[in-house]
Amino acid sequence: MIRVRCCLLVALLSLVMPAMADIAIVVNTGSGVSHLTRSDAVNIFMGRYRKLPSGNPALPLDVAPFKARFYRALVNKNLAEINSYWARLVFSGENSPPQQVATVDEMRQIVTSNPGAVGYLDSREVSPDLHVVLILSE
Amino acid sequence: MSRLLMLLHTRLALRTTAIILLIVGLLGIAFLLLAVHFRAQSVHQEQQARLEGLLNTVERTAQIACFLDDEQLARELADGLLSNDIVHAVRVQSLDGKLSIDRGGALDSARDALFTREIASPFEPRTTVCRLTIDPDQRYIDALVGQASRFVGGALLLQLLGIGLCVVVVVVRYVTRPITGLSQRLRALEAETGQKLQAPRGNRDDEIGQLVNSVNAMIDNLVQSLDAERCLRLEREVEERRYRAIFDNVETGIFEVDDDGAIRVANPAFRRLFKLPAKRDLNLHPIDFATLVDPEGTFGASPATVVAGGRGRQWEVALGDEEPRRWVSLVLNPLEAGRLQGVAHDVTARKRAADAAEQLAVTDPLTGLGNRRGFDRRLAVMGRHHRLYPDRCHALVLLDFDHFKQINDAHGHHAGDRVLRLVGGELAALLRQRDYLARLGGDEFVLLLEGCGRRDEVEALLGRFVARLQTPIALESGVEVTIGVSIGVALLGVDTEEPQQALLLADRAMYAAKRAGRNTWRFHAPGGNG
Repeated sequence: MIRVRCCLLVALLSLVMPAMADIAIVVNTGSGVSHLTRSDAVNIFMGRYRKLPSGNPALPLDVAPFKARFYRALVNKNLAEINSYWARLVFSGENSPPQQVATVDEMRQIVTSNPGAVGYLDSREVSPDLHVVLILSE
Repeated sequence: MSRLLMLLHTRLALRTTAIILLIVGLLGIAFLLLAVHFRAQSVHQEQQARLEGLLNTVERTAQIACFLDDEQLARELADGLLSNDIVHAVRVQSLDGKLSIDRGGALDSARDALFTREIASPFEPRTTVCRLTIDPDQRYIDALVGQASRFVGGALLLQLLGIGLCVVVVVVRYVTRPITGLSQRLRALEAETGQKLQAPRGNRDDEIGQLVNSVNAMIDNLVQSLDAERCLRLEREVEERRYRAIFDNVETGIFEVDDDGAIRVANPAFRRLFKLPAKRDLNLHPIDFATLVDPEGTFGASPATVVAGGRGRQWEVALGDEEPRRWVSLVLNPLEAGRLQGVAHDVTARKRAADAAEQLAVTDPLTGLGNRRGFDRRLAVMGRHHRLYPDRCHALVLLDFDHFKQINDAHGHHAGDRVLRLVGGELAALLRQRDYLARLGGDEFVLLLEGCGRRDEVEALLGRFVARLQTPIALESGVEVTIGVSIGVALLGVDTEEPQQALLLADRAMYAAKRAGRNTWRFHAPGGNG
C-alpha cells in the first residue's frame, strides 16, 4: 500500500516537473565503453584524459542547448568559470576545450559516426543509436 | 687613559654621563638583542605570510596545471614564483609522478624552511593532485633581518648618543654650573664680615638653594663663634694684663718649677727675694730650685716629690750666710702635669718676732737669764742627749742664796733685784758657751754644766763663784752687802740617769749644804746627806 502511494507520488512529481529531466552522457554504440564514472566524465570533458577507457582517442562535444546545465551538473560551475578555465590553457597549446556543436542533431551525427566521441543531451531525448554511459542528475 | 680617568674623577657631568651611558648602553644592548630577535621573528613571519600569499595567488593555476599535468603551465607558474626575491627554488610534483618540475636553484628537500602545499583538483576539492614546494631564499630573508636589526641598532645608538648628550647638557646646565658658580662665590666670600652666599637664580627652592641656606647657616654659626672667641680673647687679655700686673708688682714671689726642679718663671719680687738678676731669661737659663732654696740639700729631693700626692706643701727656709738670716716661706702647688707653681714670702720679720717671743717665754725678765720654763726645756733636751750618749755626764747645780729675804726686808725689793742681777751676772760670766743658767724663782738659781762629769771641775767653778761673792755688793743707797750661797750638785750619769731625779738629788744636796752651815756646796752623797 505504501509502495503504491510512493509510486503514485513519483509519477505525480515527474508529471509536474518535466523541465527538470537529467542529462545523459552518450557515446557511440560501438565505442566499447559500457559506462563512465563521474570522475571519468570530468577528466574527459576538462581535458585531462585524451583517451576513453576503451582506448579510443576521446572527442568530447559541447552541446550548446545543454552546455550550462551540463557543467552545472558535472562540476558545479557556470559557463564563465568554464570559459576562464580554458582561457588559461590557450597559451600552453597542449589542451583544448571540447568541440562546440550547436544542436543535438549535430552532436548525434558526430557521435554515431565517431567511436571516440562523447556528447550529452537531455535524458528524455536519448535515441537508440546513442549509448548512455552516465546519467547526471540535476 | 689616565687623563680620561682624571677627567671622570673631576667632572661631575662626565661621570654622570658615563654612568648613565653605561647603564643605558647595557640596557640598550639587552633591548637590542630582544628587538633583533623579535624583528627577525616578525620578518620571518612576514615572509611566511608573503609566501602564503604567493601560493594563494598561484593556487588556481597550479590546480589546473596539475590537473592537466600541463608542464608548460607549471613551468610558467614556477617562473612566476621565482620572479619574487624571496623564492629561491620551486618544485611542482604531481602525485602520480606524471608531472615533475624543478625551477630555480637546487632544492634541499630536508630543509625545515621548505614551504609545501598540497594542491587539490580544481573540480574535486577532496582529491589531491600534486604538491607545490617553495624553497624560500634564506639569504634574502637573512639580509632583510640584518637590515631590520641594523636599523633598530642604529636607532638605539642614536638614542643613546642623544641621551648622553642631553644628560651632559642637563647636568652641566642644572647641576655643574650652579655648583661651580657657588664654589667661586664661596671662595670670594668674606664670611667673617657676615657676608651671605646668594643662591643662583632659579635654584632658590631646590637642593642647591638648600645647600646655600646650609652654608649661610654655617657662616652664621661661624661668625657667632668668632665673635664669642674674640670676646673671650679680649677677656683673657684683660685677665692676662691683670695677672701680669699682679705678677710684676706684688711683693710676694711667684714662680714656676718644672719636674726637673728648674725654675722657668719668676716674678720680680721672687728675683729680689733670691737676689736673681732681673734681666735673666729663665726660659733659656733656668735655675735649679733645690740649689737656690736648699743649698745644703735638706730636702734632698726634687720639688716633684716635695708635692707628691698632688697636695701642696709649705715650708720655711733660711737664706744667706749673713746675720740676721732672712727667712722665706715657700708654698708649692701642682699647676698642671710637670709644672708646679710656687709662692715665696719673706717671713724674716715674723720669724724674728716669733723667735723673740720664744726667747721671751724662756727668759727671766729680771736677770735676763733663763726662767723655769727655759730650764725645764733645757733639762729635757739634756735628758734626751744623755739617753743618746750615756757616756757623757752632766752636772746639775742648784744655788740658793743665804738670807736673801733679809736684804729684801732691809733694803727693799729694788735692792734685792739688783743683788739678784749682779750675782746672776757674776755666775754667767763664769760659764762656758754651752752651759745654761736659769733663775727658778726668788733667789733660787740652777746651772746645767754640759759635759761636766767630774767633781773637781765643778768644784773649781763653784770655788771661783763663792770667792767672788766675798766682794761686797754696793747697793744704790751706798750700802754694801755680802751674801752667801748654799749649793747642791748632782751629776747626771753618775748619781742618776734621770734628769728629774738629778734635780731632786741636787735639791737635797743643797739642803745638806744649808744644814752644813751655809755658804758652801755639797755633792750628792748616796745614802749620806739625804
